[in-house]
Amino acid sequence: MSVDTTAAAAGRSPAPADTEGVVAMFRRVLEVDEVSADSDFFLLGGDSLVATRVLSAVARTYGVELTFADFLDAPTPKRLAAKIAAAR
Amino acid sequence: MQCETLENTPDLVQAFTEAALRDPERAALVHEGRVVTYGRLAELVHTLAERLGPRPGAVAVPATHSPDTVVAMLGVLAAGGTYCPVDPAFPPARRQEMVSAAGCRAAVATDVAPELELGLPATHLSWEEEGGGGAAGDGFRLGRDQDPEAAAYILFTSGSTGRPKPVVTPRRAIAASVRSLRGFFALTEEDRVLQFASLNWDTSLEEILPALTTGATLVFDRDAHSGSFPRFLRMVERERVSVLDLPTAFWHELVLHLTEEAASLPDCVRLMVIGGEAVSPARLADWSRLDTGRIRLVNTYGCTETTLITHAVDLHGPSVPVPAWDWSEGTRAPIGRALPHVVELIGEDDELLIGGPAVALGYLGMPQATEKAYVVVDGERRFRTGDRVSRTPDGLLTHEGRLNDEIKIRGIRVDPAEVEAHLAGHPAVNTVAVTGATAAGRTTLVAYVVPRPHAGTRELDADLRTYLRERVPAHLVPSRITVVPQLVLTTSGKVDRKASHQRYATVNRSKETVDER
Repeated sequence: MSVDTTAAAAGRSPAPADTEGVVAMFRRVLEVDEVSADSDFFLLGGDSLVATRVLSAVARTYGVELTFADFLDAPTPKRLAAKIAAAR
Repeated sequence: MQCETLENTPDLVQAFTEAALRDPERAALVHEGRVVTYGRLAELVHTLAERLGPRPGAVAVPATHSPDTVVAMLGVLAAGGTYCPVDPAFPPARRQEMVSAAGCRAAVATDVAPELELGLPATHLSWEEEGGGGAAGDGFRLGRDQDPEAAAYILFTSGSTGRPKPVVTPRRAIAASVRSLRGFFALTEEDRVLQFASLNWDTSLEEILPALTTGATLVFDRDAHSGSFPRFLRMVERERVSVLDLPTAFWHELVLHLTEEAASLPDCVRLMVIGGEAVSPARLADWSRLDTGRIRLVNTYGCTETTLITHAVDLHGPSVPVPAWDWSEGTRAPIGRALPHVVELIGEDDELLIGGPAVALGYLGMPQATEKAYVVVDGERRFRTGDRVSRTPDGLLTHEGRLNDEIKIRGIRVDPAEVEAHLAGHPAVNTVAVTGATAAGRTTLVAYVVPRPHAGTRELDADLRTYLRERVPAHLVPSRITVVPQLVLTTSGKVDRKASHQRYATVNRSKETVDER
């Protein structure tokens, strides 16, 4: 995993990583309402293609550039938020 | 200069060897920034061909995004054998099924994927040993005495029985198709083509073979598969990639990303080839609004059974006819015109039939399926695509739907019956219906399962997912498996897949619709 400061470089100040923010992101991207902190993205119907939308949204919102492998390793909002926080 | 016709298209290995001899110092492959020259590649191919021996039959090759797979592919072809790629990430049972269905008698082992564990005698591909030094001289003979009707490769499509269906493609088919594509893509030695597609599907051959028979450079880079568009775009710029060939579903995501970031593609990109499923008019409209006017955006169509691409058309960029399409009105994108080597016929029910040198030999060991799919019309053998099309007077085809229930998942053909056959093999499953549904702007696979009486249904969906993952590749595992009391039947008593989905999707949490395509 490597860190990039996309949002910061663009002059935006990245938001702090929070589980609720990632939950909202999953809901928006998957168009599914039933998402909790421990919902697995790939069991909610997510696949490698929609995962790119989450990774793009994470880069935009939190200024952290994660990969698909990072996401596979942390596929729930709680774990992904922790991964984002650790990468900053 | 010898005049080439479609009937005497030179063998692929000969075309590669000639490109290699023209400039042996040129970069053939770049892998994570490291260069393999044409001279070195020809030497490795020649050495492997010698070690495999003449006519080795079908050879299983670990299919990974690496130069090893390219060396193995060309080495097998140079020896007169049949290339049979097997993804090491597939479940072991599936890999075993594939190699036995293809009749593989040998395998290639590489440093990247040493263990295919198929119980076949393996020839190890080594980058350490020096070749005989005779690549340039002896290599020139490779591909000269090959039988154009011999099998060049075996790839699999989805089969209704639950077993993968091996398609056998002869050398004349791949040679004719690759030659046509070199012309259509207008490839030159200056081009740098990204290797993106999985080596299991023939799209990878449309990246690799036109490039390596032109003298162009093929680029392998892990950032292509990272899932991160910022990384992807930096890689394209760093590696000066000029040609991209992407699944339409991935291109849709790329366009969304570029639009949200108000970004464009790096200046080095001159050709963007897409294909695999219907192009979204909304994404085309987004693309036209981006700074992409210099890039040829080409839509393509083809089936494994008719070898790579048979139809293509420029949708945007410098080569579109004037006036250009206005995608903002929701115009459906055409799938293309027949390439020069393709003989096209529109048959009953507007079904597209394909003839010409690129038609494959059929499904190995499945004479009935072959007879059903390949028919003789007007004295010529043609493949029934199952796709309904309409045709404009100037030969442009538009896809109008399928004649059967086959669907496309991330650009890969899936016969719902294959997934149903696997699910029905689980002891707790009574009946099952699988269909495609559109969710979050892409097609996904959904399954409805009726359990056997007295079968435990607690966590049955999760059990079934695990069960499938152990048996089939990821694209055959449904995004959602729902346990239901009963399925909807047609008046003749067959399971009605779409009606079953409609009944249960309405009470489902997600806002998905039945996929009509």
